[in-house]
Amino acid sequence: MEDSSLRYAFGNVLCFFILLLIGLLAFSIRLFSVIKYESVIHEFDPYFNYRVTQFLTKNGIYDFWNWFDDRTWYPLGRVIGGTVYPGLTLTAGTLWWILNSLNIPLSVETVCVFTAPIFSAFAAWATYYLTKEVKGTGAGLAAAALLAMVPSYISRSVAGSYDNEAVAIFALIFTFYLYVKTLNTGSLFYATLNAIAYFYMVCSWGGYTFIINLIPMHALLCIVTGRYSSQLYIAYCPLVVLGTLLAALVPVVGFNAVLTSEHFASFLVFIIIHVVALAYYIKGILSPKMFKVAVTLVVSVGLVVCCAVVAVLVALVASSPTKGWSGRSLSLLDPTYASKYIPIIASVSEHQPPTWPSYFMDINVLAFLVPAGIVACFLPLSDASSFVILYIVTSVYFSGVMVRLMLVLAPAACIMSGIALSEAFTVFTRSIKFQFPGISQSHQIDAGDTSSEPSGDVIQNVVKTDKIDEPVKEWPSRRNKKKEKENVEKTSKPSIKSKIEKRLMVLPLETSIISLCLLVLLGAFYVIHCVWAAAEAYSAPSIVLTSHTPGGLHVFDDFREAYAWLSHNTDVDDKVASWWDYGYQTTAMANRTVIVDNNTWNNTHIATVGTAMSSPEKAAWEIFNSLDVKYVLVVFGGLVGYPSDDINKFLWMVRIGGGVFPHIKEPDYLRDGQYRIDSEATPTMLNCLMYKLSYYRFVETDGGKGFDRVRRTEIGKKYFKLTHFEEVFTTHHWMVRIYKLKSPRNRIRSKTKKSKSKSSSSTNLKRSGTRKKNPWH
Amino acid sequence: MAITNPPPLLHFLLISLLISLSHSSSDPLSELKSLRSTSDSSTIHLSDSLFRRILSHHPRTFSLLVFFDATQLHNKPELQLQSLKSEFKLVSKSFFENNQNNPDALSKLFFGVIEFGESQSTFAQFGVNSLPHIRLVGPTDKDMKSEPVKMDAGDYSRLADSMAEFVESRTNVVVGDIVRPPIVSRKQMGVIVLGVLIMLPFLIKRVIVGDTMLHDWKVWLAGAVFVYFFSVSGAMFNIIRKMPMVIPDRNDPNKLVFFYQGSGMQLGAEGFTIGFLYTIVGLLLALMTHVLVRVRSVNAQRLVMIVALFVSFLAVNRVVLLDNWKTGYGIHGYWPSSWN
Repeated sequence: MEDSSLRYAFGNVLCFFILLLIGLLAFSIRLFSVIKYESVIHEFDPYFNYRVTQFLTKNGIYDFWNWFDDRTWYPLGRVIGGTVYPGLTLTAGTLWWILNSLNIPLSVETVCVFTAPIFSAFAAWATYYLTKEVKGTGAGLAAAALLAMVPSYISRSVAGSYDNEAVAIFALIFTFYLYVKTLNTGSLFYATLNAIAYFYMVCSWGGYTFIINLIPMHALLCIVTGRYSSQLYIAYCPLVVLGTLLAALVPVVGFNAVLTSEHFASFLVFIIIHVVALAYYIKGILSPKMFKVAVTLVVSVGLVVCCAVVAVLVALVASSPTKGWSGRSLSLLDPTYASKYIPIIASVSEHQPPTWPSYFMDINVLAFLVPAGIVACFLPLSDASSFVILYIVTSVYFSGVMVRLMLVLAPAACIMSGIALSEAFTVFTRSIKFQFPGISQSHQIDAGDTSSEPSGDVIQNVVKTDKIDEPVKEWPSRRNKKKEKENVEKTSKPSIKSKIEKRLMVLPLETSIISLCLLVLLGAFYVIHCVWAAAEAYSAPSIVLTSHTPGGLHVFDDFREAYAWLSHNTDVDDKVASWWDYGYQTTAMANRTVIVDNNTWNNTHIATVGTAMSSPEKAAWEIFNSLDVKYVLVVFGGLVGYPSDDINKFLWMVRIGGGVFPHIKEPDYLRDGQYRIDSEATPTMLNCLMYKLSYYRFVETDGGKGFDRVRRTEIGKKYFKLTHFEEVFTTHHWMVRIYKLKSPRNRIRSKTKKSKSKSSSSTNLKRSGTRKKNPWH
Repeated sequence: MAITNPPPLLHFLLISLLISLSHSSSDPLSELKSLRSTSDSSTIHLSDSLFRRILSHHPRTFSLLVFFDATQLHNKPELQLQSLKSEFKLVSKSFFENNQNNPDALSKLFFGVIEFGESQSTFAQFGVNSLPHIRLVGPTDKDMKSEPVKMDAGDYSRLADSMAEFVESRTNVVVGDIVRPPIVSRKQMGVIVLGVLIMLPFLIKRVIVGDTMLHDWKVWLAGAVFVYFFSVSGAMFNIIRKMPMVIPDRNDPNKLVFFYQGSGMQLGAEGFTIGFLYTIVGLLLALMTHVLVRVRSVNAQRLVMIVALFVSFLAVNRVVLLDNWKTGYGIHGYWPSSWN
C-alpha cells in the first residue's frame, strides 16, 4: 500500500516537471521570430490590438470602453470599445499592469509581443487537463507535448503575433476542459467556472460560436443516444444560462447572444434537455403503466406546442436577410456561399479551402494518428470521449471549408493523437516489458501456458499501470467508481480473469520493438517538422522582410521606413489612403488617419477606395479629394520581387469596387480573361491609378527595360507623367510609394483644360444617369 | 371559267408561296420569336437555311448567341458538351422567363443551337474547328469568321452564371437570376414527404426503445472516420473549386495527370489518394492496439503486425515524399554543422 502511494507521489512529481518542461517548450519554440528578427509586432491586425492596448494602459478601462476612434474610417470613424473583442487587450493590459506594480518596467510592446507564447504554454497545460479527463494522465501528457509544438497553432502564436487567437485557443481548450470536468464530476463549482471560462472566450474571439454550438450538439447527442444523466444537465444548463448572460455583457456581442441564429441551437437544446429531464423525473415517480399514459398525453400536447414554436422560429429567422446567420458562419454551412456572394470574405486568403498539403504542413504526422485516436475514444465510449470525438469531427469538417479554422482543429488533432500515441505506447511497452527475456514469467505468458501458476505479480503490475493511467480525481464520478469496482473484482477473481488478461495485453516481442521504434521515429519527424516550421515558415513578421542571397542576409525594412516618413513629414491630421490591408499599420505606426482599415465593417467605403484605385487619375483624384485624402500609399513589389503587393491584390479592388459601383467592370482589366500588365494589357488597366502609382518612374530603375520581378514581364506603359498626383516619397527598395494629391491649381495646365471640358460633359452624364460613381458627392 | 376561277388548291399554293417569299425577305424577327415560343428551353434550333436568312439581313435589330454542338462528340467527356449545352439552355430559359414583362429586351437577344451534322456549312462559315464553341453574333456583324465575339473558356468556367455575365457585358440586356430546376420535382417531394410521414411513428418507436442505427457505436465510428477522411483529402476544396478528378497531360494528350505540382491546387483523385493514406495509417495503428491484442494466435499477430507496419511505413514515406515534391519545401533538422 505504502509502495503504491509512493509511486503515486513520484508519478505526480514527474508529471509536474514534465508539464513544466512542456510549458517551457511551448514558450521557447515561439521565440524564433524574436531571435531571427527582433522583438516586434507582426502582420496587420496585431498592430491594431497593440494600439488599443496602448490606449488602454494610458487612459484606463473606462476611456477604453467609450473610445471613439476618429483616426480611421474617415470620415465615419469607428467606435472601438463596442466593436472589438476586448479579451486580448484586457489580458495584455492586466499583465502589463501587474508587471509594473511589481516594479518590472516592461514596455507595452514587449508585453504584447510575449503574450502569445505565454498563453501557448497555458494552452498546452489546458490540453493536458482536458485529455486527462478523457483518457488519463499518459494521454494528457502526450497531447500537451504535441500541442506545445503543433505548427498550426505556432503560426498564430509566435512571439509578436499579438492577435485574438493567441489567447482564444487557450480559452477554447480550457472551456472544453471545464465542460468535460463537469460532465465527469457533476459539480456545480466546475459548471460555474465553465461559464466564466466561456465568458473569457466570448471576450476574446468570434470563434466562441463554435463552443456554443458544439456543446449543445454534444448534449443533444448524449440525449439521442440515451446517455442522459444529471451530470449532463449540470454541465449544460448553467453554461447556457450564465454563459449567455455573461456573453451579453460583452459590448461587441450584446443582444446578438440571444438574437442571432448561431446561438439558437443552444436554446433549443436547453428546452429539449429540460423536457428530457422532466420525463426522467416523472418516470422515476410514476408506475410504468401510469408513465405510458403520461407519455402519450405529453407527446400529443408537446408535438402541437413544438410545431408552433418551430413555426415562429422559422418565420423569425426567415424574415432577416441572411436568415439570421452572419456571412462567415454561412460560408461554413454552405461552403460555396462566400465565393458567390461576399467577395470581401472570399478575397482573404485564410478563408480559402485547404488542399491536402495544408494538413501536412499544419498538423503534420498528427494527420496519420488521429484516426487511431478516434477509434481509441470509441473503446469504450464515455461522455468525455464522445465529446472529443464530436470536437474532432466538427473541427475537421470546418477546417476543410476554411483554412483558417485549421487552428481550431489543431488542439483536437493533438488530443486525438495524444490518446493514440499513449494507447500504442502502453500496448507496445507492456508487450516488451512482460516478454523481455530478462523477466522469468515472460516465456510462460508468451507460450500461453495455462497449466502453470497464474503469475499474480504480472497481473498486479498490469492493474497498477492501468491505475496510474487513470485520472486522479478528488470527486470520483459514478463511472469511475464502477471501474474501481471492476478492478476490485478483477483482483478478487484472478483464476479466470488472469488468463484473459494475459492474452489481452500482449503482442509479439520483436514486432512490438519495431513498432515502438517506428513510432519514436514518427515523433522525431514531427519534432523536426515543427521546429522547422516555427523557425522558417511562421516566424516572419511580414513588416520586416529578409531574403538570403549569396552575398548574405538582406533585410527589407521599407514598411517602417515609410510609416516613419509619414509620421515625421506630414501633418498630424492628414488623411492617408491605401488599400485596407495597410490601415491598421498606418494608424498604429504613423499615427495618421486612414480611410479604410483591416476591420472591414463597411463594404461601401472599401469599394470607394477600390474604385478610386481602379479609376483613371482624374476620377481617382476627385474621389480622394472628396474624402479629404492628402496622401496615397501603394505597396509595390516589382523591384524586389515581393509578391503580396497591391498590383497582385488589384483584381480584388476591382471586384469589390465593381460590386458597389457598376461602372468598374472586371473584364475591362483583363485581356482574354488573363490579368496582365505587359504590353498586352488593356488600356483601362494601363490608365488606372494603381498601375500609374505603382510603375511611375519604374523604368528608371533598370535602364529602360521596366522589368517587373513579381509578374516576370516588362511593363506595358513605361513612360508617363502624373497629372493629379506627385510622388513625395519612395522607400529604399521601392516597396512603399507615397504620393501627394496635387492641389487643383498645381495640376498640369494643359491636361486640366482638357479634362475640365471632359469633366463638364461627364457631370452632365452623371446627372442624367442613375449610376452612382461616388457616394461622397 | 376554269381559268378565271383557279381551283382552291392552287390558290392555297400560291398564297403559301407568297407568304414564304415575303417571309424570306422580311425581318426574321417574328420567325425567331415564334420558333422560340415553341421551344421547350426557349432556344432556337438553327439550320443552314435559317441561318442564311438571318444573316441576309443587315443590320439586324437583335443579337444571336450561338452554341455550336456536335452530337458525335457527346460521348467525349472532356469536352463537356452536354453539360455546357444544358447550361446554355438554362441561361436562355432564365433570360426568357425573367424578361416576360419586357418584350423589348426579349426581341434584342436570341439563343440558338446549331448542330454539326446538319449544318456543316455554317460551321465552315464561322470557321469553327474546335468545340466547345460559343459565339455572339452582334447586330452589325458581317464577316462571320472574325466579327462575332467568341466566348472564352473563362466565360463558361462557372457555367450558367458566367455565361450570363458574358451576355450582359456584351449586349445591353439583363439576363437576371439563373432559374435552376429544383433537384427533386414537386411530385417526388410529395412522395418523399409521404414516405417520411409513414416511417415517422416506427422511427419514434425505435428511438424510444433505443434500437436504431444511432445507438450502434460502430456506425458513429465509421461516420467519424469518413468525415475525417473526407476533410483531410481536401474534398471541400474540390467541391468549391469544382476541380476535376484528373486532367490530361499537356505534353502527351494520351496521358493523364493525377498529381498537380504546386501547393495551391490539387486534383480530385490526388486528394482522395492522400486522404486514404492519412486515414489508413491511423486505422492500422488502432487495429494493432485494440484488435490485434485480443487475437490468440501469436503467429497471426506477428504476420498482421508486419504487414501493418510495412503499409504504414510506406504510406507515411509516400506522403512525405509527395509533400516535399508538391510544395517544394526543404524541411530539415538543425543539426550541428560539423555533422555535414
